[in-house]
Amino acid sequence: MPTVKVSADVAINFDGQARTLLDALEQQRLQVNFHCREGYCGACRCKLLRGEIRYINEPLAFVRQGEFLPCCSIPVNDIEIEIP
Amino acid sequence: MAYTTFNRIMNDQMKEPMFFGNPVNVSRYDQQKYGIFEKLIEKQLSFFWRPEEVDVSKDRIDYQNLPDHEKHIFISNLKYQTLLDSVQGRSPNVAFLPIVSLPELETWIETWAFSETIHSRSYTHIVRNISAEPHKVFDDIMLNEKILQRAEDVTRYYDHLIDGINLYQRCGEGTHTINGNSETISLYELKRRLYLCVMSVNVLEAIRFYVSFACSFAFAERELMEGNAKIIRLIARDEALHLTGTQHMLNIMAAGDDDPDMAIIAKECEEEAYAIFRKAAEQEKDWAEFLFKDGSMIGLNKDILCQYVEYISNSRMQAIGLKAIFSTTQNPIPWINTWLVSDNVQVAPQEAEISSYLVGQIDNEVDGGDFGDFDL
Repeated sequence: MPTVKVSADVAINFDGQARTLLDALEQQRLQVNFHCREGYCGACRCKLLRGEIRYINEPLAFVRQGEFLPCCSIPVNDIEIEIP
Repeated sequence: MAYTTFNRIMNDQMKEPMFFGNPVNVSRYDQQKYGIFEKLIEKQLSFFWRPEEVDVSKDRIDYQNLPDHEKHIFISNLKYQTLLDSVQGRSPNVAFLPIVSLPELETWIETWAFSETIHSRSYTHIVRNISAEPHKVFDDIMLNEKILQRAEDVTRYYDHLIDGINLYQRCGEGTHTINGNSETISLYELKRRLYLCVMSVNVLEAIRFYVSFACSFAFAERELMEGNAKIIRLIARDEALHLTGTQHMLNIMAAGDDDPDMAIIAKECEEEAYAIFRKAAEQEKDWAEFLFKDGSMIGLNKDILCQYVEYISNSRMQAIGLKAIFSTTQNPIPWINTWLVSDNVQVAPQEAEISSYLVGQIDNEVDGGDFGDFDL
């Protein structure tokens, strides 16, 4: 079960209950910006500091190196992210 | 070099830059330099909708019952959006098609502009429904000072680029005497105008629409003007995709692999890019003030809307590698996001408005077993 470290004091377990990382973050009442939730608008862009994610649907939005879209991805291993 | 509608040079399209290479000859998509534009086309086609599919008849009663200051908010936004989509329905075609060099990008531009024409038609659909005198609403767009001020900034970069392309394609690089005036154009200058134009379009789709989107959704939160909100939701979904399109173009340009000049230009124009964003944000804040001059509406006022403008400006700037310029970090109207979710656009199956046409959903696999219980 991969853990998702959001900041120094917040870490959550991605136990497969949530469909995407965005859902998992929201279940923990963490506020992430979002619009389309489908990977084409890019509003939910977060920084991926460590670890790997996998896209359920390949995003259409432009994603810079070191960034990812939580709305259409799940963690592959333990990850550390930063919500802007 | 002159434009030709079917370039006879047998070029390798995979080696062309996005713009200012050879004009496109064969519209082929079996090979793509930038597959993303083909994906955007497919997505846009799957979003296809028609204004007439959305029932706006209840909005008429809602509108009649709105207090005057809310009527002003509603109708002014509609007029402003009409202006924006009038520009966007034609300008990408006029400005970018004569200089584009990749078939997938050419088709994306056409698909993009076409979807804007649907938005324009939807405004007439809404206005016809709420007003017995739609001509008064549309006639006022050309007389409304507040709207015309914005029109100037929305169109300036397009017009400057188009003017330069006309000169360049007729006369080539150099100084030319046109109708007694001396005019100079270089390819580098044209590329600069292109970069700034794409930047300004990016800002248009990133910020300018969202003040009126917020107002439309604020009405609908009170179960008012819901037909309108359904249409605005479909428009917002399209605009998010268009925005992704211009963000890709800007990022490809700035990377410089496509055209090294463009990377230099992106750096040279950085200050101007900030200025375009800043000015658009200021204008939208002025617009919020104009909207609420006679009174606010429940759930929204000038200050909240101005904070929202700052918030989305920051996020849009970061998306293209610029730094945030405003101190606002929190979304002051988080409820707006639910209205912008793509999934929620798909209405319940028993409703008449199907907003997302299925693509590739037909099963073509047939084998002998499928006829197992079939007798003649």
